Amino acid sequence: MDADIGRTSPVGFDQEHSRRSFLKTAAWATAAISAAGIGGFGVATRFADAQAPPNYPTYQGLGDAAILGFALQLERLEGTFYARGVDAGLFSGPALAQIATIRDHEMAHVDALAGTLASLGAPVPPPPNLTFPPGTFGDPGTFLGLAATFEPVGIGAYGGAAAALESKDLLAAALSIHNVECQHRVAINILQGILPPNNLTFEPTLPFGAVVEAVAPFGVTPG
Amino acid sequence: MNVPGAEEFVQPRTRRDFFKALAAASVGAAAGGMFISKKAQAQIGGTQEGDAGIFNFALTLEFLERDFYQMALDRGVLSGPALGVVTNLRNHEQAHVDAITAALLGAGATPAPKPEFTFPPESLASQAGVIQLASVLEPTGVGAYLGAGPMIQNPVFLEAAGTIAGVEGDHVVAIKNLQGIVPPANVAFESPLTKEQVLAAVAPFLGMGAMPATGGPGGA
Repeated sequence: MDADIGRTSPVGFDQEHSRRSFLKTAAWATAAISAAGIGGFGVATRFADAQAPPNYPTYQGLGDAAILGFALQLERLEGTFYARGVDAGLFSGPALAQIATIRDHEMAHVDALAGTLASLGAPVPPPPNLTFPPGTFGDPGTFLGLAATFEPVGIGAYGGAAAALESKDLLAAALSIHNVECQHRVAINILQGILPPNNLTFEPTLPFGAVVEAVAPFGVTPG
Repeated sequence: MNVPGAEEFVQPRTRRDFFKALAAASVGAAAGGMFISKKAQAQIGGTQEGDAGIFNFALTLEFLERDFYQMALDRGVLSGPALGVVTNLRNHEQAHVDAITAALLGAGATPAPKPEFTFPPESLASQAGVIQLASVLEPTGVGAYLGAGPMIQNPVFLEAAGTIAGVEGDHVVAIKNLQGIVPPANVAFESPLTKEQVLAAVAPFLGMGAMPATGGPGGA
């Protein structure tokens, strides 16, 4: 049974709605119906019209250790990126404070994920050989433009993988880090002068393949 | 930097820190000893169990935020960047209300009715007052979603909840920026709150639903 809300778009609806509005394919309906058998309500469930299809099924074959290992590589990519941005002297004042803090957060995420993998007895992947496009660290605008593409990838990865994790402890960790990556996205908006910086109604998840594709050019692979 | 192990991620923020933050916001200063009545608890999310109960709990919080931001906009005390931020806050919370309602209805569950909320007069009397209360409400929302998330059984619902929880994190940073906090994204890991902590935070806005305790920790 469909829940047709029939609501009009709220005033000032951001651009994300227009991207999502066409997503009424059969694929997510199938996923929702098959998911309903897992528990919870016990009947077919669906997102509201503004939501995207669930992406957690694309992470379900990987296992918790592989998901964490890939997240670790993503955090290493971001941590290295922000560290190099600081070291290149692109920023000063409050902007530098924010970029350096984001770097520190990503490094803390790296340490936490590596430590968690080790405590699980799972292999810790070696650091990737990272490459960035020429000019990435040449000026603040180019750097921030790339940052603005990185954060949604991490957000989409944690958001998509969360419901595929088997361990509830790891799920709590993923939700914690996911929220911080969302906070980073808004911080980058602020540095880019995007007003208002809180410009998404829902933070989209991404399927595993899209994340892999997004970070492959920088030397990151799921391993 | 102290690096948490996996088990530390699920450690909720200490009650002392949480209530210190509430007291600093001049809201719910008595919340540390507040008795959360059954009526108040029922107002927040009804009495349904499982995923429906969790989603109704979230729905109530989204109603709370939506109503507050709508009232703030109606008062006309906001201008400049704050007006843009709060307009989006209101729009987002409305969309969250709609999405959660649709999810509940689509699953054959009953959405909890919206309680009547009462906000402290100073929180709606000035832009600074609005921002101050928002700086308490949004982190409460983040903590609620992070606390409830691991208990959601249906993975479709869990993923949906995450898309909303992330936006509450967005809101936290937008508000810190309005407060002039530098840098505004200044937390490496976000913390879950227990249901009791969330109830304590929002009970003051339910009016007659809660009463101060005569002593000892809160509870029902």
